[in-house]
Amino acid sequence: MKKYLNMLLLPAIVAVSSCGLDNYDAPESKLHGRVVYNGEPVGVRGTGEAVQLQFYQDGYELRNPIPVYVGQDGTFEAKLFDGEYKLVTRDNNGPWVNDRDTTVINVNSTANVDIEVTPFYTLSNVQLSLSGSSVNASFQINDITGDRDIDYVMILVSKTSFVDDVSYTARRDIRDLTAGTTVTEALDLADNADFNAGSSLFARVGVRAIGKDQAIYSQVVKLR
Amino acid sequence: MKKSSISIFKVLVLAGGLSCFSSCSDFLERQPDQIMTDDQIFGDAVMIRSVLANYYGRVSWGQHIGDDYQYTILDEAGKSDGGPDNIQNYGNALWRVYDYTLIRNINQFLKGLRETTALVDDEKQTYEGEARFLRAWTYFNMARGLGGMPIVGDEVFEYEPGTDITALQYPRSTEAGLYDYIIAECEAISTLLSDETNTHAARANKWVSLMLKARAAIYAGSLANYNNKMPSPIRTAGGEVGIPADRAEGYYEQALAAAQEVIDNSPYELQLNKPDDLERNFYEVLSVKDNNTEVIWARDRIYPGTGQQTAFTTRNIPGSHAEDIDRAYAGPILNLVEDFEYTDNRNGDIHIRDNQGNYIFYDNPLDAFANKDARLGGTVILPNALFKGTPVELQAGQKIWNNGSWQTITGQPGERDDAGRLITAANGPNRSNEQYINKTGFFFRKFLDEASGASTRGRNSEMWFPRFRFAEAVLIAAEAAMELGQGPVAVGYINQVRERAGVQPLTSVTLNDIVQERRVEFTFENHRYWDLKRWRLAHIVWNGVVNSPTAQQYALFPYLVVAPSTSNDGKYVFDRLVFSNSLHPRFFELRNYYNFIDLGWQNANPKIVLNPFQ
Repeated sequence: MKKYLNMLLLPAIVAVSSCGLDNYDAPESKLHGRVVYNGEPVGVRGTGEAVQLQFYQDGYELRNPIPVYVGQDGTFEAKLFDGEYKLVTRDNNGPWVNDRDTTVINVNSTANVDIEVTPFYTLSNVQLSLSGSSVNASFQINDITGDRDIDYVMILVSKTSFVDDVSYTARRDIRDLTAGTTVTEALDLADNADFNAGSSLFARVGVRAIGKDQAIYSQVVKLR
Repeated sequence: MKKSSISIFKVLVLAGGLSCFSSCSDFLERQPDQIMTDDQIFGDAVMIRSVLANYYGRVSWGQHIGDDYQYTILDEAGKSDGGPDNIQNYGNALWRVYDYTLIRNINQFLKGLRETTALVDDEKQTYEGEARFLRAWTYFNMARGLGGMPIVGDEVFEYEPGTDITALQYPRSTEAGLYDYIIAECEAISTLLSDETNTHAARANKWVSLMLKARAAIYAGSLANYNNKMPSPIRTAGGEVGIPADRAEGYYEQALAAAQEVIDNSPYELQLNKPDDLERNFYEVLSVKDNNTEVIWARDRIYPGTGQQTAFTTRNIPGSHAEDIDRAYAGPILNLVEDFEYTDNRNGDIHIRDNQGNYIFYDNPLDAFANKDARLGGTVILPNALFKGTPVELQAGQKIWNNGSWQTITGQPGERDDAGRLITAANGPNRSNEQYINKTGFFFRKFLDEASGASTRGRNSEMWFPRFRFAEAVLIAAEAAMELGQGPVAVGYINQVRERAGVQPLTSVTLNDIVQERRVEFTFENHRYWDLKRWRLAHIVWNGVVNSPTAQQYALFPYLVVAPSTSNDGKYVFDRLVFSNSLHPRFFELRNYYNFIDLGWQNANPKIVLNPFQ
């Protein structure tokens, strides 16, 4: 009988000791970052994994990037292991000049990084307000690179704080604008179900350079 | 006593053990009956034929009637089955084809076929042509999703531990290079194959390979042309994506020549068996297999035989005609219906209200679609149109004239009012989350089988799925001629197709005319997505803007007018509504022009470069 007990002991030891030995802990180090132009974060579409950055780490057999999605206020965050990473923007993605230069980041429990980009256009002096059933927008479009026309400008209103060219309840596209001047336009919400239901409303404006996959946006403003 | 019992036990154990050993040996040495050696396959003509048949069953990709959900994600149909579809954008791997398993299998087959002595030379040559055609078709399906991909020729890769794998890693071809390869293969294959037709167009012949050549050339030509007209053309540095603009003319010439060879010399024609009933005629072109003179290659089906039928009819038949519990999975949408022209007016919008905004009243709901392109009735079951000889009732509710305004009432499917008048038809449409009720206002007609029992789960339908047909040769010729500046030639070709549809002839042809003609001629035939992609129009048509006439899906609801003691009582009016089961407009982004490369492929083969936007 004792012999049999001894025989059971070995698998029992194996079973108990194998747990936990060969697993990594989850990454704990935090990276905070912003996509900036002249020190100002760049507003982008924050839904649908639209704007992506890619982390690479050298020295491993596989070369898949770790995708990091940029939020609508131009910030991003990732939990990583400590070590050296390379950060690039995704090919042709984002409202800026395609530039795939590498930024090297050392992550040691925390890290902060600003990725400098050159947008085709920026928006400044953006004022958005609600008067009656009309959203009044006033803003200036600045041409940064001078080599691409404006495709269209959007005034967007959403009932959540996510506002972009996919998440919106009302939208107005304006074409044939020239950069440099102050634009004043209005968007009428009289027939809008969310407006009439008294929901919260958030707004921002976006400008899309011709032939780019994404627009650049102003920061989100709460209208009511 | 005790001692003897032990010895008996031992004997029993010994005997049992011995018998086990001796009986097992045979069992373990059986030949596997699922795995065949090359000798077994290529020593037998029947086996060779069945291996080839297997490949024919592995080449259905993209939209086809075996997978009806795929029809609902573009702008052709909407899903009526249960709750709304939340699709908001297109996946990076939508309809992506990467089937090097099949290509390797075909190359194994070619190797065995060339060595076999079980076949006479004629058969060998035909089989070689068919196998190479299926390989070219696979590459073509890969190219239109991914751009240029590795071309492995006739190579059969073998891997044993220790092999240097870098020799197996082929880089991607350029996009132009892959189309050139497909075109050259089709050219060569066309000399190997017979020019005779075969049963239900199930097998490749000379004309099938020429059709693929024409289609590959027109795709490559329009990619070279329209990609480079974009504000920022989509390309990779090595040309894996992006064809130089100066190649366009050559491709258009190849497309025109190949299409003209099919038009002038093949045994196929624009089928016109019922000149008095052009709707029925068009239905039969696509959906009746026997004595068909138009379809050049199709995925054929037959009953009985496991897995050789399609549930398309079972799932999509109108409830009033259903033979089983399944019905009304999806229906065509108004966007499609309105893209069919009137015989004398190129704007196909349905006349719902007059200039003052008042309803237009119709005695019969079907009258609203009078004088439409005959292909509409052959593609879509309209409200009150006949299917299998009986009308398909579609009525959303009643419009009641109440003190100077219209009041809309709807009921349960099949419900009648106190006067016995129908409120909502059993078929629908309605705007609920219920299963088995239509929600668009229309049913499929193209590919809907009229055979008895074809809509039962136990039998399903023998409906084929045509991949190439004569009308495509005519429209490829029209498009290529138009792009090459041969206006009168293009007009001649496009008018052949329009004449059969009963619509007015054109006097000149633009790209928009080609877009329009292919939209209505090839609905549900797996052309729309690839066409809009190659013309670089997809991101403009499916722009993601709410209530955009092209990106949002719309439904058309017929109502019975209840206005007692007025002349309009008992007539029908229509409402145009946003399709309730598709919440978001269609949104095709620039990244969708090419599928993404799976990073696993790149890990296995570092020479694979990624696609744009990836």
